[in-house]
Amino acid sequence: MTKQFVFKGASEMPMISISLGHMDWNKTGTWRTQRPFYEDKTPPCSAACPVGNDIVAFIQKITQGDFEGAWNLIKEENPYPGICGRVCFHPCESKCNRRDYDEPIVIHALERFVSDFASNLNKKIEKVPGVRKEKIAIIGSGPAGMSCAYHLVKLHYDVTVFESSSLAGGMLRIGIPSYRLPKNVLDREISNIVALGVEIRTGIPFGENLKLDSLKDYQAIFIATGTHRSRGLHIPGEKGKSVFNGLDLLRKINLGNKVKLGDKIAIIGGGNTALDVARSVIRLGKKATILYRRSKEEMPAFEDEIVEAIEEGVKIRYLVNPIRIQQKDSLKRLECMRMELGEKDESGRRRPVPIPNSNFFIEEDSVIIAAGEEIEVSFLPKGMEEREGIVLTQRDGSTGIKGIFAGGDLVSNQRTVAHAIGSGKKTALAIDCYLKGKDSEEAIRQILIGEGPSISIFRHLYPDERPRNPHVVTFEELNTDYFEPSKRRRESKGLVKKRIKGFGEVTSGFTESITLEEAERCFSCGTCNGCENCYVFCPDASIIKTEEILSHQVDYDFCKGCGICFSECPRGAISLKEEAR
Amino acid sequence: MKKVITGNQAVAYGVILSRVDVISAYPITPQTTIVEELSELIASGRLNTRFLKVESEHSAMAALIGASTGGVRCFTATSSHGLAYMHEMLHWASGARLPIVMVNVNRAIAPPWNIWSDQSDSLSQRDTGWIQFYCENNQEVLDTILQAYRIAESIKLPVMVVLDAYVLSHTSEPVEIPTMEEVDPFIPPYCPEYPIDTQEPMAFSMIATPEHFLEFRYKIQKAMEQVPEIAKKVDDEFRSRFGRGYGAIERHGKEEAEVILMTSGTVTSTSRIVIRKLVGEGYSIAGIKIKRFRPFPSEEIYEAIKGAKKLAVIDRNLSAGVGGIFAQELRASLYSREERPQVFGFISGLGGRDITPELIEEAIQYTVEHPRPEEEILWLGLKK
Amino acid sequence: MKKREIPLSENLGHGHLACAGCGAAVSMRLTLKALGEKTVMVFPASCWSIIPGSWPYSSFRIPVVHAGFATGGATASGVRAALDIRGDHEAVVAVWAGDGGTFDIGLQALSGAAERNEDFIYICNDNEGYMNTGTQRSSATPMFAWTTTTPVTKPKENPKKDIMAIMADHRIPYAATATIAYPEDLLRKMEKAKRIRGTRFIHLLSPCSPGWRIPSELTIKISRLAVRSRIFPLYEIENGRSYNIQEEPHTVPVKEYLKLQGRFSHLTDQEIERIQEMADEEWEHLLRKARC
Repeated sequence: MTKQFVFKGASEMPMISISLGHMDWNKTGTWRTQRPFYEDKTPPCSAACPVGNDIVAFIQKITQGDFEGAWNLIKEENPYPGICGRVCFHPCESKCNRRDYDEPIVIHALERFVSDFASNLNKKIEKVPGVRKEKIAIIGSGPAGMSCAYHLVKLHYDVTVFESSSLAGGMLRIGIPSYRLPKNVLDREISNIVALGVEIRTGIPFGENLKLDSLKDYQAIFIATGTHRSRGLHIPGEKGKSVFNGLDLLRKINLGNKVKLGDKIAIIGGGNTALDVARSVIRLGKKATILYRRSKEEMPAFEDEIVEAIEEGVKIRYLVNPIRIQQKDSLKRLECMRMELGEKDESGRRRPVPIPNSNFFIEEDSVIIAAGEEIEVSFLPKGMEEREGIVLTQRDGSTGIKGIFAGGDLVSNQRTVAHAIGSGKKTALAIDCYLKGKDSEEAIRQILIGEGPSISIFRHLYPDERPRNPHVVTFEELNTDYFEPSKRRRESKGLVKKRIKGFGEVTSGFTESITLEEAERCFSCGTCNGCENCYVFCPDASIIKTEEILSHQVDYDFCKGCGICFSECPRGAISLKEEAR
Repeated sequence: MKKVITGNQAVAYGVILSRVDVISAYPITPQTTIVEELSELIASGRLNTRFLKVESEHSAMAALIGASTGGVRCFTATSSHGLAYMHEMLHWASGARLPIVMVNVNRAIAPPWNIWSDQSDSLSQRDTGWIQFYCENNQEVLDTILQAYRIAESIKLPVMVVLDAYVLSHTSEPVEIPTMEEVDPFIPPYCPEYPIDTQEPMAFSMIATPEHFLEFRYKIQKAMEQVPEIAKKVDDEFRSRFGRGYGAIERHGKEEAEVILMTSGTVTSTSRIVIRKLVGEGYSIAGIKIKRFRPFPSEEIYEAIKGAKKLAVIDRNLSAGVGGIFAQELRASLYSREERPQVFGFISGLGGRDITPELIEEAIQYTVEHPRPEEEILWLGLKK
Repeated sequence: MKKREIPLSENLGHGHLACAGCGAAVSMRLTLKALGEKTVMVFPASCWSIIPGSWPYSSFRIPVVHAGFATGGATASGVRAALDIRGDHEAVVAVWAGDGGTFDIGLQALSGAAERNEDFIYICNDNEGYMNTGTQRSSATPMFAWTTTTPVTKPKENPKKDIMAIMADHRIPYAATATIAYPEDLLRKMEKAKRIRGTRFIHLLSPCSPGWRIPSELTIKISRLAVRSRIFPLYEIENGRSYNIQEEPHTVPVKEYLKLQGRFSHLTDQEIERIQEMADEEWEHLLRKARC
């Protein structure tokens, strides 16, 4: 840096106008009327993720070839990447900005790859040291309960999980078939949590063998018993012979028990349970027909599920509603009515309306009712309010009873694995605040991803690291000039003929090279990934590269505020604000 | 070694002997034989010089500015329109303090087209910051080029050496040509003060604001003010080495005279004969040859004209609206003096019209007979 | 993620006086990264007579010779001769001239130098007007554009001079177009030019925020649209005859390029159509030349 020259006169000057110094003293930063700054913002995928994953961050790790780093990053928020990578309904992909350009990133496959890769590392998981004296009881070892257990044990609490069934896992164990979620993956991810120091006691149903009084030694209780009661159809004949309950059937199959069914099976319902039932019975060599009272567009089951089911030979009949189940010789005779769609109901879907005089009959060997699940409230302690099928809680999961929290399917109509995991995490934070006398509402507010409701517990623990502006980056805020159009990669599925012979996993994960290719497609919305456009295009060499990877700084001494860096950042990781004077 | 050569050939010899590194020139009558001669010499390997055969005179001077900034010894030659074309770059060369030497063959500027002797071209450039020398004969041409490099490289200003079209450029005269061994000790290798160097990068000819520009120009003026002393030293050294010296001016004729005739270029030669004749007839006449025009040799002239009452100036040039330029500069140089003789400004010989002994005599007669000039401009030989 | 291979040297420096968002500053910075510090750059009059700063400060870290407006080709010829005589055959001599100093007042000296195949890299920093003197038209100004000497009521009537064709017809060893939105391409061409002897000509399109009436942050975007709309195709010509086009697969109509610039905001639909026609014709013409 040269200081300014001062000449007393001609005698001190050279004879020609030859330069004597540089312009480093001229702080052109004073020209600025607007000021660029690096600011990571929230990508829409993370904002949509009910778990609260930092999706862009783990994908960046993948692009760097650091799969173990990606694994560790996911594990900050989500104990179940192998599970989510297989069964999550991936709302992240629906919100992925790339869908407005060509096709969204196959985020779930990337998550799955990282989990499968880590499983091959055979890393030993150490028990969390320094356990606090507070004890916490968790009722239910489903995804909500185990997620809560995971985060609490990492916060050094003494956690015990009570599970009514003989095996841990909740709906993941008994509801989702192995061809979607192999049992060894489930076992592995549960044991990863247990290894941290969580105790699971199975075979202890709440309400029967376990009363609230016996949990007096615990400073907090989290109830996450889920929805394991099947909803009835309230039609004549639904309790008859050869009419089964979908959830019960799946439980039997998933626990390896024998089932007795006829050849031709009618399944009433349109959700994932109905689909799971249909595809399971196909694998038992049966024929399956799903009867659904609305049309395809309203079917709540996941799109992929429906496609795979149809490939496997499941027949689906839309706008059909059984009104009576009768016995005709050895067969079940279903009297059905054709439906048409009327006005929207409270779920936002068009209400099915029977078409008068459209009755017809279907004959099947067995009938399985899979028309939805409900919560079981009989064992719930007094003081917990229930309304319209869910238990009411505060945002943080606290109930009307001090020290008792609830979460998962029990408290929400958004009944997905991801929501459950997110709910467990949020409640873990709430319990931690409760036990430390802190304001959980404030704590949650600080760490919402985007506008919420998901939270990042990493930001709670390390508030100064990886800061993100809650603004969710839109497609319009990106500069797509730097991206070549490319199609998303697809996971391979087994041949239909082979896969319906058993319960082996249908979908194969990506190979490493495909994972890297797909990860490269990620726009990295709102998050700097070191592409260096800012450095290359700055007219004033005012973007300084620092020692850390992916780190750049604006040299405010010289930055003129032209905004080129802001405009050419492909991912909106640079913001502009008015220069204060 | 004495050879009978033209003025243009004498120029070529002067350039070789000065070990010029880069020549850049564009042909124009009557300079052409200079560049042709030099091309031959370079091609035959006798000159280890780059000759940039540019596409115009403006580019010729620009190329030399580039080369001189690059730190090597440069030369060009031109005339008339070529000189006028490079006018912008003449300012640049002096502003950049580059010791370029240029020969200008005095030729009239069109229209009308005219290729013959006329000083208007070089004198039109008198404000460009170039030192100017006017030569009377081919020997002086060669010698002046040698001295020019010494002066230019000391003062750090460019030098113009001027000779008359055809009368000198294409006329053969005997010229003593020194050897390279004799000249080398007289003109040491060029050592630029600020050569281009990628190890020590600098910006040349940068913009300077009003805060500093005045001082840069002041320095040029100060450099010009050093020329009389430096030029005298160089001339004295030249005389002691080669036996020939010229001074800024040369006085001839009667030692104490009432009327002095001031001339430049080849007119001086003719005037010597006329003055000798008139002195022989009893006139009190002397002559002063003005060799150095810029900076104008005010001190030397004032010294030489002591006692004279009238000065007659023959200008082979015209600054329309003012008159002869030598006369104008002379008047200006006398203004602040105690003794101010009358100045008779004669203009003659424009466009190569012969300035005959008769015309010179006519001028002297007029001056002798008139107490003061009846007109500002006295036209010699004009056909009204 | 593929990392850019951009040299780290900063020989333009900072603290210089270029306008915020100056396209030429980006061009210069990238060019010097490719040419390196053993470069002597000649600057005929242009914005760059001002940008580095005024005496005694110059932001450059290489030797720089400011020269008269018309003299780029000539001054550089002299500099090259001097360096060769002094035995420096490593230093690269380059000219950095604007479109004025190349297409118009400097064309003669450039043509003379090219015909002599002088050994330097002549870089024309084309911002399509005399921007340093306040946005007057040059022969590089595109047709229908507004400038201060081609006001909206009578915009520029003639198309842009094809300087690349002119240089190609001098049969110089290498000529290329480049622009800042394609930095790897620009660097590659500069580095390639550096390795060739003789006259090399690089035509850089540098958007000018005040002169084109564009917001400063769009400088790179507009440079990219110039290529995508085929108004400024990227190509190389070797020895005046052999063409190599860097095809941009994402083409857009010229309207996309024109609508972002204030200097074209007065265009009628017919004028835009005419510009599209001309761009298409020139592109076809270029393809034909490439095929021969």
